[in-house]
This record gives sequence, structure tokens and C-alpha cells, in this order.
Amino acid sequence: MTVWFAAAAVATALWALLLLVLAIATRTPDITPGPPGAQPADESPAVVDLITGGWRLCDEAASATLLDLAARGAVQIEEVGPELSLVRLRQAEGLNPYEQLVYEHVRSLARDGVVATGALAEGSRNLGRWWKSFRKKVIADARRRGLSRARWSRAHATLLFAAALVPAALVAVAVTVADTSADSDRDGGIGAGVLAYAALVYLAGRLNGERGTDLGVQAAGHWLAVRESLSNSRFADKPAASVTIWGRPLAYAAALGLAPRAVRSLPVSVPADDRRAWSDYGGMWHAVDVRYPSRLIWGRPPLHAIGRGLAAGFFAGFWTWIVLIVLSAFELWPRALAQPGGFAVGLAIAAVPAGRALLDLTGQTQIEGQIVRLRRRRSGGNENRPKYVHWCAVDEGRGRELKAYGMAEEQWSRLSEGDVVRARAGRRVGWIGEIEVLRNTAHRGHYADTQDHLIDAPRNLGEVRPGWGEPDGGMRS
Amino acid sequence: MIIAVGAFALVLLLVAVLIVVIYNGLVRKRNAVENAWAQVDVQLKRRHDLVPNLVEVVRGYAGHERQTLTAVTAARAQALGAHGLAEQASAENALTGALKTLFAVTESYPDLKASQNFAELQEELATTENRIAYSRQYYNDAVLTYSNAIQTVPANIVAGMGGFTAREYFQAPGEERGPVQVRF
Repeated sequence: MTVWFAAAAVATALWALLLLVLAIATRTPDITPGPPGAQPADESPAVVDLITGGWRLCDEAASATLLDLAARGAVQIEEVGPELSLVRLRQAEGLNPYEQLVYEHVRSLARDGVVATGALAEGSRNLGRWWKSFRKKVIADARRRGLSRARWSRAHATLLFAAALVPAALVAVAVTVADTSADSDRDGGIGAGVLAYAALVYLAGRLNGERGTDLGVQAAGHWLAVRESLSNSRFADKPAASVTIWGRPLAYAAALGLAPRAVRSLPVSVPADDRRAWSDYGGMWHAVDVRYPSRLIWGRPPLHAIGRGLAAGFFAGFWTWIVLIVLSAFELWPRALAQPGGFAVGLAIAAVPAGRALLDLTGQTQIEGQIVRLRRRRSGGNENRPKYVHWCAVDEGRGRELKAYGMAEEQWSRLSEGDVVRARAGRRVGWIGEIEVLRNTAHRGHYADTQDHLIDAPRNLGEVRPGWGEPDGGMRS
Repeated sequence: MIIAVGAFALVLLLVAVLIVVIYNGLVRKRNAVENAWAQVDVQLKRRHDLVPNLVEVVRGYAGHERQTLTAVTAARAQALGAHGLAEQASAENALTGALKTLFAVTESYPDLKASQNFAELQEELATTENRIAYSRQYYNDAVLTYSNAIQTVPANIVAGMGGFTAREYFQAPGEERGPVQVRF
């Protein structure tokens, strides 16, 4: 029995050694920067981002692509104020697939052909899928240019997967031999073998990725030299609108990490801010600040608020009564007033939420506007049955500061950001009772998914932020 | 005695720091208003500059639409000579109305519509109108933020001492403060 386990361990170690050897053999060679004074070549900024970032695509790639579109006249970026710039759609022809993806995103958000730069993070697209699609399209372009290739060739993959059968089979045999129980049908070994094989294949897959070809390494060296040249131009403080003056060099500077201000102002591939939303309700994009008030009273159904108010009043009154009794023992408080005192405090504590909730129960108001934020946050429960609080912020076009309302999950799950809705809500405890969608969001951002680029580009290739599109990130998209 | 003096001095210091912080905040907000107005002004001037060219182009193809052209020219002159934000907003609205009428009239002149010069001017004016709308919204938002700052306690005390006066919204009398969308 021990022999079989030892054999399985040795086989696994040998397989790991093979993986290590292949990983070292398929490393991208070291990149040597080219001679100084190099001029930009014809690769797109997104491809430049890929090959100069160790063949991993960074967040800047999407923003750099938009800057490139602006430099080439497909869009125009205009500064209206220090905190407000606009992206205006122009004629777009001859765009490659990932440029088209970015352009379509801008177009899906545009009102009268215009979108505020801050609003580029808005829309109801699934950001994780969007990024995956963008990344695959960039990789496809890089491979077409002969700059990039998958780390494992077909031969490598076949060798690794076939070799993994040996330790997996030995694990299966070892577990089968070790399973001596009388009532066993001895199929535990097969399960263990399958699990071991899956684990090894997963490990090989995790180490897979994109690597540079000789041409790619040469191009990366050239672009590092360009980076050196561009670093003298002080792009770091240049706003996105300055692309009108600087043209494509600003887009390349963004892709090379030299233009952080311009990249930050074009949040094409980053999640929307929870507390700072952009709304086009009324026809023009504008920023609104969203608050998620404390849930002591706010964001609960009125009856819950009454219950909590009464409970809080009871506890406050009880402990006040105890304190007053103690004080009266030291003759610091009249004994006769201990009970009325506690009662008064309890009543005062309970009256505020209960009164507000009662007012909301009897007179809810109608709100109409555009949903700018839908968020849910964990509020308790356990791993198996987590509890969430569901928030919905509606821009009614009346101000620039909004308070998010609480609502039931079944209503919340039917909504999308950008929907124009009419709701009946209590403005004192912040709870939406009824809601109907008057018009579905126009910002769904239809885009060609990954179907046109079914390439072998493993998920771990790009720096996709963990939690994108996940409830814990608070985002629905 | 020393403790009392020390406490008093500490309170005075805290008050002084608070005043400085509030004052600087108000200055920043006032500067934001002025900056926002400069953006509006740039766009308005751009429109004023475009109008004579447009009138000349239209005159070349539709010279007998004299009444419409005169109305546009007069509206532009009124906008240029306006004093005060309310008057200027009214005059700019009137100019927008006159331009809309002009563009409606040009629909009857296929040669004019086919003119590349006219098409470019129309596109440029439409873009400028859109920029005016956004810069106007941006300015009014800045004024709202500034107004809230100088009217709320305790900043209103510092605002009174520092001469921070209220600013006007860029809107015509009786006009709703909100997005103004113009499409040519």
C-alpha cells in the first residue's frame, strides 16, 4: 500500500519537474530596450500594452484605445471644465474588433452623440465578460501580427496532459489498494484518480498564458525605447482632452503607463463608483453623489422600523430605569420618578422611528426617475444563507445628492441601472414599496462577445480585478 | 489661571484654524464658479463668431429670406450687448430660437443643404450648442455648490466677513434651472 503511495508521489514529483522544465523553456526571453530616439510603429496602443507588460493586458489598454480613437478622429474628447470632459462620437471606419468594442461601449452610453468621460464606467454591461472579450480580441491581433503565442504549444499540452495520466493512475491504484473496508465497492480509487488528474491539468492550465515570439520580443524592445523617448514629454499631467494636441503619442504614452491622468479620466474598463454616479436623466450626463445612510431607521420596511423602534425604546427605557433606581439609592434622583423617567426615555427613543414609519405607512410619495445605482450588501446570515440589504438610488432630476432606498430582493433583481422607473416610496424610512419600469435602460451595451475570437487565451492572462461583477464588490451589471 | 489662559488660547487657535479652512474652501468654490463661467463664455463667444459666417452662407443661397436673417443678426447683437446673467441667458435663448428658425427655413433650399460649407457650419453650431448646454449645466452646478456653502452654518459667518457674495444662475427669468437641449 505504502509502495503505491510512494510511487504516486514520485510520479507526481516527476510530472511537476516536467512542468517546471517546460515553463522555463517557454519563458519569454529578456527584453532589451532598442536604441534611443525610436519612433512609434504601427501596433495599436492595446497591443503595445500587452507586449510591454510581460504579455499581460492591463487596465490602461482600454483607455489607451479610446485615446487612440480620439487621435484618429473616430471620437472627439472635449474639456468643458476641470472635472467634466465629453466624448463626442464621430465617423468610425476601419476599426479593428477591440477598437469597435470600445467604440460601441461609448455609443451605447452616448446621448445625442455625447457622453461625459466620467460616465464611461456606467452602463449595464457585464464588465467581466466585456473585459474578457476585449482581451481576447487584443491577443488575436497580437498573434496575427506574429508578436504573441500561447505558452503551451499543442505538443506541450499533449505531453503534459498525457504525462499527468501516470501519477493520476498511480493515485487511483494506491487509493484502491488502501481501501480495505468490507462494504466498499472499491470505486473510491477511480474518483481519487480523476480528481488527481483534474488537479494536475488545472495546474498546467494556470501556468499557461501568452508569451512573446522572437518578433514580439524585438517589438517590445522597440516600444521600450519609444517609452524612454515619450517619458521626456511629461504626459503624466496631461488630461484626456489634450489628445487633440498630442495625438497618438498620448495614446501610446497611456498604454506605456506614462499618462495616468488621462487614463484615470477615461474609466472604460473599471467598475463604476458606488458613491459617485453619472446619470443622463433629463437628457444630459451629470454626476450625482449617492449616500447609503445608516440602517438604524433608513432602508427598512416601515413595519420593521416600528418593531426596531419599539425594541430600542424598551431596552433604552429599561436601562434608564435601572440607572435611575441606582441614582435614587444615592439620593441623586427622586425614587418616585425612576419609573416615569425610564418610561419617558423609552418612549422618546421609540417615537422617532415609529413615528416616521407610521407617516410612511399612511402617506407614501411617488418618485419617478432613473436608477443610477443598484447595490446589495451583506447584512448578516451565515455562509449557507447570507442575508443582503438591497439598495436602489433613483435620480429624480431634483438635485445632485441622492439617498439610496432599501427595497425587497424580488423587486431589486428585476431592475437594471439606467432603467427609468416610477415607485411608491416612504421618504422618512427610505423604503420602496412598489416599483414599475417605465423604460428599460438604453445603456445595455450590446457587443460582439467572444464568439469571433475563440482562441486559446486562458483566463489568468489578463489582470482582471477580483470581484468584478460580484455582489461583494457591490456591483450588478 | 495659566490653565484658563491656555485653554482660551487653544480655543482661539482652533477657531482660527476653522476659519482658515472654511475660508479656503469658499475660495476654491468661488474659483470653481469663475472657471465654470469662463467655459460658458468661451462657448458663447464661439457661437457668436460662427453666426456671421452662417448668415453669409445662407444669404448666398437664400438671399430673400431677409427677415429670418435679420432676426438672427439682431439676436446675435442683442446677445453681444447683454448685461447681467439673466439678460444674457434671455438673449442667448432668443438667439437659439432664431437659429432654429433659420435652420427650419433652409430645409426649403436643397442647394444650400448640399453645400459643404453650410453642412460644416451647421455641424459646428450643433456641437457648440451642445457644449454650451453642458458648460451651462456645469456652471449652474458650481453655483449651487457655492451657494450651499455660503448659506450654511458656520460657513455663512466666514462668507459674510470675507465678502463672498451670492452668484447668479445662468438662466433666463422664469426659466427652469435644468438641462437645456437644443438640436438643430
